[in-house]
Amino acid sequence: MRNLAANMLSVQLGSRTVLHGVSMNLAPGELVLLAGRNGAGKSTLLRCLIGALEPNAGSAQLHGQLISSWSDPDRAREVAFVPQDTDVPFDFTGRELVTMGRHPHRRRSESMRPEDTAAVDRALNLLDASSFADRSVMTLSGGEQRRIAVARSLATEAGLLLLDEPTNNLDLEHALQLVKLLRSLADEGHGVLVASHDINLFAPHSDRVVLLHEGRALVDAPPQEALAAEHIETVFGVQSRTPSQFFPREFTL
Amino acid sequence: MRKKLPLLLFVVLLLVAVMHLAFAREEPGLGSLFDWLFAWTGATGDVDQIDEFVFGAIRTPRMLVAAFGGAALALAGTVMQASFRNPLASPDIIGTAAGAAFGGALVIVFKLADMSVFATPIAALFGAVGVTWLVFVLAGSHGRFSVANLLLAGIALNTLFGAVTSFVVTLSFDNYTASSRVLFWLMGGLDARTWEHAWITAGGFFLFGLMVWPRARELDLLTLRDDSAHSLGVDAPRARRSLVWCACGLTATTVANSGGIAFVGLIVPHLARLMVGPAHRLLLPTAALLGAISMVVSDLGCRVSPASWNLRLGVVTAIAGAPYFLYLLSRQRRGAAL
Repeated sequence: MRNLAANMLSVQLGSRTVLHGVSMNLAPGELVLLAGRNGAGKSTLLRCLIGALEPNAGSAQLHGQLISSWSDPDRAREVAFVPQDTDVPFDFTGRELVTMGRHPHRRRSESMRPEDTAAVDRALNLLDASSFADRSVMTLSGGEQRRIAVARSLATEAGLLLLDEPTNNLDLEHALQLVKLLRSLADEGHGVLVASHDINLFAPHSDRVVLLHEGRALVDAPPQEALAAEHIETVFGVQSRTPSQFFPREFTL
Repeated sequence: MRKKLPLLLFVVLLLVAVMHLAFAREEPGLGSLFDWLFAWTGATGDVDQIDEFVFGAIRTPRMLVAAFGGAALALAGTVMQASFRNPLASPDIIGTAAGAAFGGALVIVFKLADMSVFATPIAALFGAVGVTWLVFVLAGSHGRFSVANLLLAGIALNTLFGAVTSFVVTLSFDNYTASSRVLFWLMGGLDARTWEHAWITAGGFFLFGLMVWPRARELDLLTLRDDSAHSLGVDAPRARRSLVWCACGLTATTVANSGGIAFVGLIVPHLARLMVGPAHRLLLPTAALLGAISMVVSDLGCRVSPASWNLRLGVVTAIAGAPYFLYLLSRQRRGAAL
């Protein structure tokens, strides 16, 4: 089966149990929103799903095999990841950073091949980042740096894409463009998992929403069911209602 | 142009190497050097025996120790800065060089250095690896390093091992020869370097340098956060460990043969980055060549300075390096990358 699955994942960091038996699944062709409060375990779950963090119990499986059993390059060609923090302490250009996305496809000392250059250009174009790709990343805004990070993940050409707060620092237009891009990638057959606090932005375009609450998956269902008022109140401690006034606005490109 | 810079730097290195061989307070000079070189290549006949000894047995090994030592220190600094994602990481900041100096001082003071030419390099390697391992343990948490923890652990261990090394040196004060030898060695210098020292320094550079060279792209990826590097197919903690051990080897062989050389491992990678950018495929050869040039030029400065100054190589690199580092800091305050 071609998917990425968390099976009863439990993770303890220090004395704190961050995830308690979380199960979820990401299949090709779907866009899934992972939402929850700060500290609910979203980033920890993503780190387990890419194999960067070994769970204390349960397992993460890629295409039916333990993620830890995959070789690093093989796994990287299947699952791409955009972390929450995308800062780089050195003066790379945007293009150099996106080119790093081709690492799992190249042998150790292999130069850039035409298909690598094409993949980098394609990723930069999809993120509307070609115009600033040759500038130093130190001179880019936070939003531009984030678009470069997303472009790097697309340059891997992985079928499964995991993003942690991808709209942080993005202006409204580029946030909407990113949502549209992720939706179209899912429609083309990619599996896309987005951890985000921007529920209003992502939920209308998502196939499913997984709400994490205190380290547990409270609900995993289509958006209208998952984001029912009682679930919102349980997870976020706030009331929600269907909009009828000026706010919130519905934005489109 | 940037891609051709290493070639240009190699030509500069050859020029400064010739200057290093030719210029000193005493004869022989440039003319005799060319006579010796032509005779060596078989183009001309005999050469003065004394000139042959001076060039062949004294100046050439000294120049080679300077060149390969500088290249090794610059490579070590470049590897550490990428591996720790920290532009301040270098063998002399995080304690690697202090550990190497401690190991080397031990074998010199306890007269083990005279038993074998390999004794000092091996002791320096143990010292370098030991202290760097302590930095990993003290500054890291689950394989991750914060800038503050790294620097604090480095400062603490530098101070600790500097003090312990001083204590070891004071133990040897009743033996003038041993104490002066270790003190001069600690200040960094290339006096009385032989072909054995040159082979060991060059061997360390090629052995550890060739382990680093093919991993330029991994070094690029280590400058990202560990999760990003992992998602792009690099096991960051494992890659960091193996690359930093290579940097320890590069540092130890240099410190063993040249003593304490300040700032080359810290400054030269920054200078190289200014010239060719941070991508390691070009940065590694550029830093190595710049390191070699800077050490050869610094040692040349020692050799042509008045004899009464008794100028040491480590003093020259520190005097030249510290103001340049302050300049880099002022650039950073104006918004440029360090």
